[in-house]
This record gives sequence, structure tokens and C-alpha cells, in this order.
Amino acid sequence: MAESKTRKRGLWQRFDRPSIAGPLLAFPGTLGLFLFIAIPFLTAVVLSFTDLRMGSPLPTQFVGLQQYERILTDASFQRALLNNILFAVVVVPLQTMIALGLALLLNQQLSGRAFFRTLFFMPVVFPMALVAVVWQLIYAPGPNGLMNSFLHFVSFGAIEPVDVLNNRWLALPGIMLFSLWQGVGFQMIVLLAGLQSISGSLYEAAAVDRAGKWSQFIHITLPQLRNALIFTMLVTTILAFRVYAQVEITTQGGPVDATTTVMYETVRTVFDRQQVGQASAMTVVFFMMVLIVTLIQRALTKQEREVK
Amino acid sequence: MSLLAIGVLTLSGCGSDSETVQDDVTVLDAWVHSGRQSEREAISEQVARFNAAHPNARIQLTLIPEGAYNGQVQAAALAGDLPDLLEFDAAFVYNYVWQGQLIPIRDLLAQATYRNLIPSIIEQGTYDDKFWTVGMYDSGLALFGRRSALEAVDASIPDHPSEAWSVQRFDAILHELAARDEDGRVMDLKLNYRGEWYTYAFMPALVSAGGGLIARPDNDTAQGVLDSEASIGAMRWFQRWVKEQQRVDANVDDNAFVSGRVALSWVGHWEYERYRGAHGEDLVLLPLPDFGDGSRTGQGSWSWGITKHCSKPAVAAQFIDFLLQDRQVLEMTRANGAVPATHSAIKKSERYAADGPLRIYVTQLTEGFAVPRPRTPAYPVMTSIYQNAFNDIIDGADAQRALQRAADKITQDIRDNQGYPNVAEREVGEDG
Repeated sequence: MAESKTRKRGLWQRFDRPSIAGPLLAFPGTLGLFLFIAIPFLTAVVLSFTDLRMGSPLPTQFVGLQQYERILTDASFQRALLNNILFAVVVVPLQTMIALGLALLLNQQLSGRAFFRTLFFMPVVFPMALVAVVWQLIYAPGPNGLMNSFLHFVSFGAIEPVDVLNNRWLALPGIMLFSLWQGVGFQMIVLLAGLQSISGSLYEAAAVDRAGKWSQFIHITLPQLRNALIFTMLVTTILAFRVYAQVEITTQGGPVDATTTVMYETVRTVFDRQQVGQASAMTVVFFMMVLIVTLIQRALTKQEREVK
Repeated sequence: MSLLAIGVLTLSGCGSDSETVQDDVTVLDAWVHSGRQSEREAISEQVARFNAAHPNARIQLTLIPEGAYNGQVQAAALAGDLPDLLEFDAAFVYNYVWQGQLIPIRDLLAQATYRNLIPSIIEQGTYDDKFWTVGMYDSGLALFGRRSALEAVDASIPDHPSEAWSVQRFDAILHELAARDEDGRVMDLKLNYRGEWYTYAFMPALVSAGGGLIARPDNDTAQGVLDSEASIGAMRWFQRWVKEQQRVDANVDDNAFVSGRVALSWVGHWEYERYRGAHGEDLVLLPLPDFGDGSRTGQGSWSWGITKHCSKPAVAAQFIDFLLQDRQVLEMTRANGAVPATHSAIKKSERYAADGPLRIYVTQLTEGFAVPRPRTPAYPVMTSIYQNAFNDIIDGADAQRALQRAADKITQDIRDNQGYPNVAEREVGEDG
């Protein structure tokens, strides 16, 4: 008995050594990362150099950089890249600003505060597919469409009915608008939590120093919210690059590629045209794009830390 | 993400899905498109009846939404997870055959069943001299109109495809209808359907103009056909109606014709019941306009095939024989308004009899006005590319450029696949 106890302790002590415990505990997580992220990505890289087609009885051939050459010279894919970038550039700052505004508003001592918070958060709970269908009805063309008749009414007839989702210039902004509507509640809640964790004493001290509301916002609220803001912007950026459901349901990439996205082009390529090789090349390009954006963002947030 | 899914599927997939519950009961998995409620009810009831009448066989039905049907089948095929028998849009059959997923069924079906089929169904099911697939019905595509609205503009009502309006006449009629209409949107092209609808419904217009999707009969290039003057001309008409003149209702709610917003609806047989309910005696069925080379319409519909994984092809064929009996065919075509696939059922059906309200559908199919979608394994790719081009054109893109691009892409795909040589078929013989 005594012997086995010491042996046990010996085992335990060996496990207790950080050199073993660390890798051991990290193993399941690392394995998951490897299986579900590294392997699929490496597979995609390898496949992107082949002409693999789903279901084809012909042998798969190595085609070098041909798939990349094709997608990068394809007008639809170029447009998809541009749309993704546009989407991120417009939606990320706008959505963050609106979320901050709403959070500030709902942080006031209003009556019915809980009601409004719930109201603004509600769209986040709806699946994007549902939101897209509902907004498709809101955008319904013709004078009887919900939004058209509303605009007509409030402008006393000055605004003519438009077919938002079939208009080359309005389709992408139209999708941006309801994506923003759906996503803004989530950021608002995160920022609201951030706001509530700011100590009231900071504001009191500032008030004693005769700092005005604006000055308090710039010098207390924003710096204190920095981490929350970085988090929400990062999440929104990733979501902005993943735009797919909205496009699939409302416009199918049209009119004339005005709303197509990299995700959408990839899905079409593999499931409609069965070109696995080409779709893989698209995902690799997509990955590089997201990687670059993430690196830039990381560099920027690091700088802020150094400043502090 | 999708790649990962495919990888996992491939790992887990393992051959046949059929299992034997008891030694003497064969269980067969069958996939069908989910369709309208009436269709779903009809097929479920028929399967129940078949199972009750055949204690040794059990058909297990899985309903799959139509939107992503081909994608599902392709993914399952890749994973080796196809059911024993399944339904598919017949235009895709040549691709499945090329991939070696199906077995020929001519010798499995009862001789009487095969002889009873109408010619368009036999033509559709035949590829490479073998018979692969058979549907319970063929489709009808034409114009539904409101007689009162057409008479108000003095439009003659053709009742045979050979008397169809010329496209110029059709354009003039739209113009006159629009003058009497509040918003000028007088036609429904079912633009809300999108997807395969674009090819099924508007490819015949290309042929009617003297163009087409691909060079027939070799199916080896789209260049010079899809981007020919004739094809460009046909697509320009659609661009004119949809984009320039705003004659077409967007039909977001799918109620444009039923609610009376439009006078004409370019649609298939499946709307007959609903339209008849809304407009009664005022409803009239017209052939599609003639774009220069005679009125042309689409054909082909959902169709059954037996996969190479099927453990008991004889039982699967028995089920298909059962579906093609008059009672089942008539039930199904009553549920969806389609043209029965058998001579005997057409004779018994009032709608398709010589003076029936839907006779034009039969005339179109039997007198050469219906054009099948190209019978080539390249079809799934071709249709996806054409849909894109059609979409772009009605959104205002230059028709010539859009069609040229589409023709180049289709031709490139055919070259990439070395002209889709017949390589799989030999393996089927060995596997099956």
C-alpha cells in the first residue's frame, strides 16, 4: 500500500512538472485546431493546384496556377473581392458608431430602458435568413412596397418608388443596411457592458475639474471602452467578410454582380459547377485577404497598447 | 467549410444504403423533391399503397427541397451515399450517367410500361443508346392569360403553337396592355423563381430565334450558338421588356397573376390549379411567342432513376412500374397539373383530351414545338453559367458581351473535361 502510494505521488509529481502538463493539457485543443483548421486549409491549398471536379469520372490533374489565373481574371470574382472590401469598409465603422450611440443612449436613466434594450437586441436573435426574407418584403418594388410607400408618404410624393435590390447602385447598400440592422444590437450590448464597467468616480473627478460632457466622452468613455471597441470591430470585420446568406436569399449576387461576394462565388463554383479545384483557389485567396486584414488590425491594436 | 464537410462525408460514406430488416423484406431508400403540398401528399400516399400491396418490399421516402437538389445529389454521390432510387430534374440525368451513378432501366421495367410512354419521355430518358430514367409526367410551359384583358386590346387568341404570336406582335400587345394598366407592368415571367427556371423557361426562346445554348447534336461548343446574332436578339427582347420598358412584374409575392396585377403569365403547368381558381373561365392558355423560327417551349420534368448502389434493382423497377400505372399518374398530374407521361393516362385525362383546357401542352410535346434541354453531361455547368448571363442581361448588362462571356465559359468547361468522354459507363457494367 505504502509503496503504491509513493509511486502514485511520483506519477503525480511528474505530471505536475510544467514541462509535461502544459503540452498535455493543450493537446486536445491543438488537435482540434489541427484537424478542423490546419488540415482543411492545407487540403484547400493542395486542391487549388488541381482541376478536381465533384463527381467527375475523369482523373484529377495538377494544373499549377491555372485556377488562380482564372479566378483573378474573372470579372465576377474581381467584383466579389471589391464588394467584400466595400462591405467591410462601410459597415464596420458605421455599425460600431451606431452601436456606440445606441449604447450611450440606453445607458441613460430612461424609463422603459429594459424595454428599449430588448427591442434593439431582438434582431440579433433572428437568423439572417429570416431577416433577409423580411427585408426583401420591406424593399418590395413598386409603389405598394412597404419602404417605397413609406418614403413616398413622408416625402409628400417627392421620392419615386425604387426597386432597391434590383438596382445596380442601391442593391449593395440595401444589403448593408439590413445586415447592419441585424448585427448592431450585439455590438450595442457589448459596448453597454463596457460602459457600465467604467467607474462613476472618474466622471465625478472630471466634473470637479469642470470637464464638459464632450470632454468626458473623449477622455474617459472612449479610452475606457478601448478593449470593448477593439473586440466589436474585430468581430464585425470577420462577419463582414463572411457575407453570404443575405446575398443568396435576396439578390443571388445580382444585379450584374453588384452584390456578389467571395463566399457566394465559392459556393456557386463548387455546388453549381462542381469545380472543387477552382473553389479551393477562391477560399485560399479569401483566407489571404482575411489574414492581411487581421494582421493590420493586430498591428494597430498593439500600437495602442504600447502608447498606454 | 464545405471542403471539410465533403471530406467528412467521404470518410463516413460506405456504399449501399439499403438494408434488409428481415430476410424477405427489401428496404429501399428513395429521394424525391418536396414540391407542392399536393404533390407531397400524392407521392406519400402512393408509397404507402405500394408498401401495403407488396409485403416483401418497403420504400422509404426522403423529401428534399428543390432549390439545392442537384447539389445534394452531387454531394451524396461523392460520399457514396446515394439512395437506391431517386427523382431528379431530368436535364441532369446525362451528368449522373456520365459519372456512373445510374443503371440502365429498359430491361428492368415491364415492357407494357415502356411502350405506354409518350415520345418526349422516351427521348428524355435515352442517352448513349440506353434508357436511364422515366418520369410520371412531362412538363407544360406556355402563357396563361386573362381572356378579358386580351380581348380588350383586340389580341387574337391563338390555340395552336403554329399560330403563335410573332414576337413583334407580342411586344405590341404588351404595349397596348401597358397603356391600360396602372403601373404598366403587365406580364409575369416568374422572375421570383430564378435558378433552373431561367434555363427551362427562356432557353426555348433562343432556339425559337434560331440560336440556342450549344451546338447540336455534338454539344461540343457554345461559341457561335449562344453568342450568335439570333441568341443575342432573343435575349434583347427580354432585356427590353424587363429593364427598358418595365413591363414585367417582379412578382415578389408570387401573386402577380392571381391578384390580377398582370394579364399574362409565362409559367409552367403547375400554376394551372391556382390560376383557374382565381380566374375561372377567364383563364386562357396560349403558346409562347415566335421569335422567328416558330414557337418553341421547354420540356422535361422530375424523373426517376435507379442508382448503382441499389441492392434490388428489380424491386425498384417494380416500384417505378407501379408509379406509371394510370391511377398513380392521374393522381399525380391532378395534384400538379403536369402532362401525364403515358398514352393511356392522357386518354383518360379530361384536361389533356382533344378539347381539354391544357391540350396545347400535349400538342407542344407531340408535334415538335418542345425543345429538350441539351442532353450532355456538361448541362449542370452550362445551366449555371447561362442563368448568370440571363440574370445579368435582364439587369441591363450588354447582351452581346454577357452571352459571349457565357459561351466562352461553357466551351472552356467542355474543353477542361476533354469533351466529356464516355469513361464511366464501362465501370457501371462491372459494378452493377
